Amino acid sequence: MGEQVPQSPISVVIDPPIIITATANPQEPKEAASPSDSILSRLHAGYFRICLSFGAQVLLWKTLNEHVNETNSIHSIFHTHSFPSTAFFLLYWLALCTLILLSFLYILRCIFYFRLVKAEFLHHVGVNCLFLPWISWLLLLQAIPFAKETKNFPCQMLWWIFIVPVVILDIKIYGQWFTTEKRFLSMVANPTSQLSVMGNLVGAWAAARMGWKESGVCIFSLGLAHYLVVFITLYQRLSGARHFPAMLRPAFFLFVAAPSTASLAWSSISGSFEVPCKMLFFLSLFLFTSLICRPSLFRKSMKRFNTAWWTYSFPLTFLALASAEYTREVKGVVASGLMLILSTLSVLVFLGVLIVTAANTHTLLRENDACLN
Amino acid sequence: MESSKQNHLAEEGSSEALPSLIKAITANELAGFDSVEEHQDLNRRLKSTLVHPLSTSIFGIEAAAMENENDLSKPQRTHSVSISMPPSPVAAHLHNTNRVLFRDEETVLENDNPNSAATVSLQTQRAKFYSQPMPKGCALNEAITSGTSSNLPVRNPRIDKLKDKRFDSFKTWSGRLERQLSNLRGKHREESEQEPQPQHRAEVENLPVDRYFDALEGPELDTLRASEEILLPEDKKWPFLLRFPISSFGICLGVSSQAIMWKALASSASTKFLHVSPDINLVLWIISIALVLIVAIIYALKVIFYFEAVRREYYHPIRVNFFFAPWIAFLFLALGVPPSVSQTLHASLWYILMTPIFCLELKIYGQWMSGGQRRLSKVANPSNHLSVVGNFVGALLGATMGLKEGPIFFFAVGLAHYTVLFVTLYQRLPTNETLPKELHPVFFLFVAAPSVASMAWARIQGSFDYGSRIAYFIALFLYFSLAVRVNFFRGFRFSLAWWAYTFPMTGAAIATIRYSDVATSIVSRTLTIVLCIVATLIVSALLVTTIIHAFVLGDLFPNDIAIAISKRRPKTTRRWYHRRSGSSDTKVEEYLKYSNSDSKDIEGSTNSSNKQEMSGSLHKNVERHHSHDVLEPCKFDVFL
Repeated sequence: MGEQVPQSPISVVIDPPIIITATANPQEPKEAASPSDSILSRLHAGYFRICLSFGAQVLLWKTLNEHVNETNSIHSIFHTHSFPSTAFFLLYWLALCTLILLSFLYILRCIFYFRLVKAEFLHHVGVNCLFLPWISWLLLLQAIPFAKETKNFPCQMLWWIFIVPVVILDIKIYGQWFTTEKRFLSMVANPTSQLSVMGNLVGAWAAARMGWKESGVCIFSLGLAHYLVVFITLYQRLSGARHFPAMLRPAFFLFVAAPSTASLAWSSISGSFEVPCKMLFFLSLFLFTSLICRPSLFRKSMKRFNTAWWTYSFPLTFLALASAEYTREVKGVVASGLMLILSTLSVLVFLGVLIVTAANTHTLLRENDACLN
Repeated sequence: MESSKQNHLAEEGSSEALPSLIKAITANELAGFDSVEEHQDLNRRLKSTLVHPLSTSIFGIEAAAMENENDLSKPQRTHSVSISMPPSPVAAHLHNTNRVLFRDEETVLENDNPNSAATVSLQTQRAKFYSQPMPKGCALNEAITSGTSSNLPVRNPRIDKLKDKRFDSFKTWSGRLERQLSNLRGKHREESEQEPQPQHRAEVENLPVDRYFDALEGPELDTLRASEEILLPEDKKWPFLLRFPISSFGICLGVSSQAIMWKALASSASTKFLHVSPDINLVLWIISIALVLIVAIIYALKVIFYFEAVRREYYHPIRVNFFFAPWIAFLFLALGVPPSVSQTLHASLWYILMTPIFCLELKIYGQWMSGGQRRLSKVANPSNHLSVVGNFVGALLGATMGLKEGPIFFFAVGLAHYTVLFVTLYQRLPTNETLPKELHPVFFLFVAAPSVASMAWARIQGSFDYGSRIAYFIALFLYFSLAVRVNFFRGFRFSLAWWAYTFPMTGAAIATIRYSDVATSIVSRTLTIVLCIVATLIVSALLVTTIIHAFVLGDLFPNDIAIAISKRRPKTTRRWYHRRSGSSDTKVEEYLKYSNSDSKDIEGSTNSSNKQEMSGSLHKNVERHHSHDVLEPCKFDVFL
């Protein structure tokens, strides 16, 4: 302004930013704490990655446990008959508490900060993270330790409770992909889009394990069809797509998670780990090899800790789960070795990310999270 | 002459060397231009090129401005040679060589020169500039594009050797290896003792894929655009190894697939009525082994001696797919082994053959996935089928050998990536540069993957079940939809890569044989015979054409322009570009946002990768596929 005419002073008001530095200590997810405003406003769906990783780990341990009991293959190596059940229970309750806490907090966020949740929904990355809670719940449902099978009524009710939001989200999001111009798939496709597909596939997996083949196939076909579309679109890397932040590069590991989940789901539906399941598992293995041969892709995201690092953990766990199923079908040294390597890797990565998170709790819920850029 | 005088003047002004000596040398040069002894003198004495005077005369202010970057650290060590008639745009290359990996030990000499034209690089080169290459040849490097035969007197071996220096940039370690080897052999080369150590290590020049798109055109991206220049002399026949492209492995593919076809014809139940002799398979197989060995040895020599040329082929968006061809050829050889030679092959052979394919795949598919300048939406072209078909051929071979899991692995990977590629090619995305607008034999590669996949799946499953049939019918449909458009396959220059496009037809024929084994009927048998005849005829026609080109026309291996493109666009062909606005704004914004880290993509054809030369360019806002039409030479628009 170069005007010389004096006018009423223009006051510049800076709204206090929504994200303010928390005065209270940011809590670890497992500690019970009263939700404060700042935490609610900064908690976004991406934090459920932590729960998802926990849930996947629990499931892995459960599967390995069963595998050891069945085949004695690990017994021959480690001379143990089963993993200590107390450790397993502990892990399960830990995972459950984390999930309950986060879910509670998120419900509060929906109540008090609905506009933030809406903003998440409208964001091309955040919308996919909205599937994370349901996937976590479905995984924990499958991993219930005290039930031999999950075919009892409460479990089935719970399955319905968790799958309905997934289907609603599906209808909304998938429909937008080809009807809403601003949200065409070619514009919004990014590696986290595979989370929506995984939501369907995990739902199908849970359904099949509960004995509901038809529902399982239904949700599975939904997931598979959209997985095909997403996979192709992501591989094309169309230039019209919106920018994917470098901090979220760990989401590339979702390329590994989605086929593994599909392979597990189909093996549950069809009853055995047949050729299609093997093919999906091999595809997942190939993509995993391809990603670990490209460490430079992840260099930028490794500079600073953020919750996206948890995305390293659960895809590996899914791959290990799929390899466990594979080993069950194809007995042999190579398969068992593969399962062992992948499981070890997944446990190590999980522990590593857990330790790093524990060391960096002060940055949790405080950072300008890349997930919502 | 004037220019040389100009050169001298300019040179005298700026160089600290001995002007008189320089003049003397110039005169000598002129007088003894063709004489051998003069050359020897020059060889010994002339270590640096006189770019400087040339450049000033040619490039003027523009060049001078750029020149400052050049380090004028050392004074000229020896005399510079001035160029007489039209000054050669050598300077551009010289400086380029400073920055570019193709470097010779003598590059350092250029650094000594106050190169005015250095930074300008290739743009100023014109193929038509006829300068005296001889003195240049010894002192200058590889990058000289000038030099026509008209200026050159009768060759003698010495001169030829000097000229070889022009190709040094494409040689391994910029020719040092060759010198080492020739030193080892006891050949004495005069320059060797006088070559100082290069000042910089040859930096790896990753030619961005945009340069290939900018500089080349045509269905196989091997024709130079009119506005571009190349690093090597266009009118001179390059060394044979430089002219030997990787697509020559296509011959191996074509012939070895024929061997497989005749083996299938001889051994399959549905074609017993033809009484085909298994000897045909044997003969063809031996021929293909010989071919594979010959081509492999020649290419191995090229890798040893001209590694930089090989590297450039690897960065070419179409030629990179042919790097799968040798391994596929080996797989074909294993598939076509005559029963009389060996009934079963050892399983370890399969692992050995698949390892290079696996490693190449990791690299290429990873490039597709991780985006960047070589993402699929940009570089997809029918030759990419070569990178996918290797998986299916490997699966087929593994299943034939009795392996179980390995074939399924490669089949899965191949299927997933084939789906992606198929959809991308069918979409004909506007950002896709490389799809030929007209029908070209390369389109027959579409038929390859489904037909081999159907055979592989049949082997894996044990029978020709529904999956195989679906794949087979898809292949058949694609074959027919291309065959009825045969009229459109006209007007293309023959190249050795065409051999690679014959193996899909042979593959379809073999798949038909397998299909007719399970669905024996008149129709399937007729189809078998027709397809086999067509495949054989096409291969024979190609053979005749190849022989004609090789012996009669003599241009079976033309200069491989595609690998000699320059790193930067010729500067003088810069134009003002009309800024595209309006309808494509929103798209452009998205485009910008996405490619923010890779600005080369945005700028595309309109810019060089050098940021410094970007001053005032608005090209960022121009989408590439629009810019092609807008930016062709002779279109001037004031840029906003």
